[in-house]
Amino acid sequence: MIELRDIRKVFNEGKPHALTAVDGVSLVLDARAVTVLQGPSGSGKTTLLSLVGCMARPTEGRILLGDREITSLPERFLTDVRRRTFGFIFQQFNLVKGISALENVMLPAYPLGEHHASLKKRARALLDLFGILPRESSKAEWLSGGEAQRTAICRALINDPQIIIADEPTAHLDTKLSREFMDIVGRFKAEQKTVIIASHDPLVYGSPVVDRVITMRDGKIEAAGR
Amino acid sequence: MRKSTLFFMSLAVQSVLLIGAFTHAAYQHGRDAFILGETAALVKRLELTDLCLFTEARYTRHPTQADLHSPFQDHPLSFEHFPSGSLLALPKGIGGR
Amino acid sequence: MGNWFERQRNIIDFTLSSLVRRKGKNLALLLVYALLVFLLASVMFFTHALRREASFVLQGAPEIVVQRMSAGRHELIPARYLGMIKGIRGVSGVRGRLWGYYFDPFSGANYTLMVPEAFSHGSGDVIIGQGIARTRLVGPGDVLSFQRYDGTPAILTVREVLPSASELVSSDLIVLSENDFRRFFGMAPGLYTDIVLTVRNAKEVATVAGKVQKLLPDTRPILKSEILRTYDTIFDWRSGIIVVILSSAVLAFIIFAWDKASGLSAEERKEIGILKAIGWETSDVLLMKFWEGAAVSLTAFLAGVLLAYVHVFFTPVMLFEPVLKGWSTLYPSFKLVPFINPYQVATLFFLTVVPYTVATIVPSWRAATIDPDSVMRS
Ligand SMILES: Nc1ncnc2c1ncn2[C@@H]1O[C@H](COP(=O)(O)OP(=O)(O)O)[C@@H](O)[C@H]1O
Ligand SMILES: [Mg+2]
Repeated sequence: MIELRDIRKVFNEGKPHALTAVDGVSLVLDARAVTVLQGPSGSGKTTLLSLVGCMARPTEGRILLGDREITSLPERFLTDVRRRTFGFIFQQFNLVKGISALENVMLPAYPLGEHHASLKKRARALLDLFGILPRESSKAEWLSGGEAQRTAICRALINDPQIIIADEPTAHLDTKLSREFMDIVGRFKAEQKTVIIASHDPLVYGSPVVDRVITMRDGKIEAAGR
Repeated sequence: MRKSTLFFMSLAVQSVLLIGAFTHAAYQHGRDAFILGETAALVKRLELTDLCLFTEARYTRHPTQADLHSPFQDHPLSFEHFPSGSLLALPKGIGGR
Repeated sequence: MGNWFERQRNIIDFTLSSLVRRKGKNLALLLVYALLVFLLASVMFFTHALRREASFVLQGAPEIVVQRMSAGRHELIPARYLGMIKGIRGVSGVRGRLWGYYFDPFSGANYTLMVPEAFSHGSGDVIIGQGIARTRLVGPGDVLSFQRYDGTPAILTVREVLPSASELVSSDLIVLSENDFRRFFGMAPGLYTDIVLTVRNAKEVATVAGKVQKLLPDTRPILKSEILRTYDTIFDWRSGIIVVILSSAVLAFIIFAWDKASGLSAEERKEIGILKAIGWETSDVLLMKFWEGAAVSLTAFLAGVLLAYVHVFFTPVMLFEPVLKGWSTLYPSFKLVPFINPYQVATLFFLTVVPYTVATIVPSWRAATIDPDSVMRS
């Protein structure tokens, strides 16, 4: 369970071009459910995701992960919480170019000091699970859109996170691949993972695997979907 | 193979070679001490005072024996001691043999 | 939290992967770096070995050489000075030395002519150094013809060639008899080039030298310790100059490394953003940068040092040949006795590896503290 209490995020605070991207959001997101943040571009979805995912700190308000307050944690602990709890799937996939798909998947686990052989085994098992094991040694830039996203998903899963966060995951995918992505989300759900997606793609928020759709506008919650 | 393994291996090989260089130096030194001893004996026999490194001028051939007012006196093999030295060309007939 | 060593290795894996991506650039960097270390190390090894050899070999040099000075120049010393010096307490032996220079127009080289205390051959015979044998293409039994002071020809038969192992001190020597020497230069019998003394007690050398100068104010005693010190400072100074010059190259290189590290491309910045976003800490990114600097500099350092060792002690020191040759036509060809010590290697290490590694990490600090959410907007 993730609880947001009166979250505000102001960019460039105190400056003339200050901008309130998230404006007083209070939410309780259920564990083991698929939640979609929906809303027009610029409504603050990405910002909210980055706050939930411990990538940035809110200007005001508190975030509770289970019963743990994370807003006041020092950076080191925050990073640790982030890499053990969250798996991120970015809009641009954000694979590291020039290194193989396999290495990309293993990358988040490197600093944890896991033994190489077992890490590699897990990474290959994940690639296999998503049907891209044959491409394991291809460089990231040689992967097709679908392969790149699957690689990015494998990478998000390598540290076995409880919560998966995806920002506009279908923006660069065609209909078929978008449907496949939602099937994968269904699998996450079956595995008892919490999934939070920001998207304004009807294929996503209209999908039957989605438990809840929250609509945002101008940094505020327009409809909490309950 | 892992890249880090390759890296450590190359470092190890290089380090072993470096240790090899040290060992070689120590070993060779023992062997060459004899030759050096012979050279020292020659120096003693002929009452030599200098190394034969630069034969082009008196003060470079025998820096320790040079006049007080020879150039390079304080640092006999310095590039140029007197500023004018850097302005003067190589004497005719010495270069371009 | 995991295994420390595995963490380092994992991060090294990634660092090397990313270095390999810019293969050409990093290889060129590595080469330039190794070349720089190679030059520095060559100079250091060469001068250290030469200095050590000089100080060993010159232990055999005369304890005191007494020169006569006249009008600020080195003058021939009259034989009567011998007797006067002999009378000084503490002096156990004196001998007038005869030596001089001869410019050989045939080869364009300067030779050193020298009369030993005991010459084992006869009149008209000479013993020559390897350098002369090489430049004049002569060996035992061959004849060398020179011109005396008065223009008459001197035909000298080579009887021996001094061992090549001693070339560092003997390359340009022509050893001949006293008679031949005097006839060669037209030097009157009562004159010597200088006087060498032996002293009974090594502790008294300075005292004796003082007494010589007091007794004969127009002389200049040169002590063995001064000879040894001269060679010490020569090599210190020479190598010092070269090291200073090369250090500016090192400095330029480090500035370049610094610039490279602080002017990270948008791509590299994005990459660091991705790493942060997928859970790398600032310290992990810095660790990666550390290994990036360390991998390049350690490899270049070891390669440069090893190549320098081979260059200085196994090959005919190609790099220093022009320096050694200078303007001279005759130059020694010698093989140095290998000598390196951990202190030299440590100095090189602190001169190259440490600053380079620091120069790659410190400027990366800012990039490493980039916000992890930066990759979510673009
Ligand atoms: N780092 C930032 N600095 C300044 N403004 C930002 C920053 N990140 C986002 N914004 C602004 O915040 C608002 C919300 O953006 P975002 O959360 O990306 O919306 P969405 O994901 O719904 O399109 C936008 O107006 C955007 O320009
Ligand atoms: Mg967005």
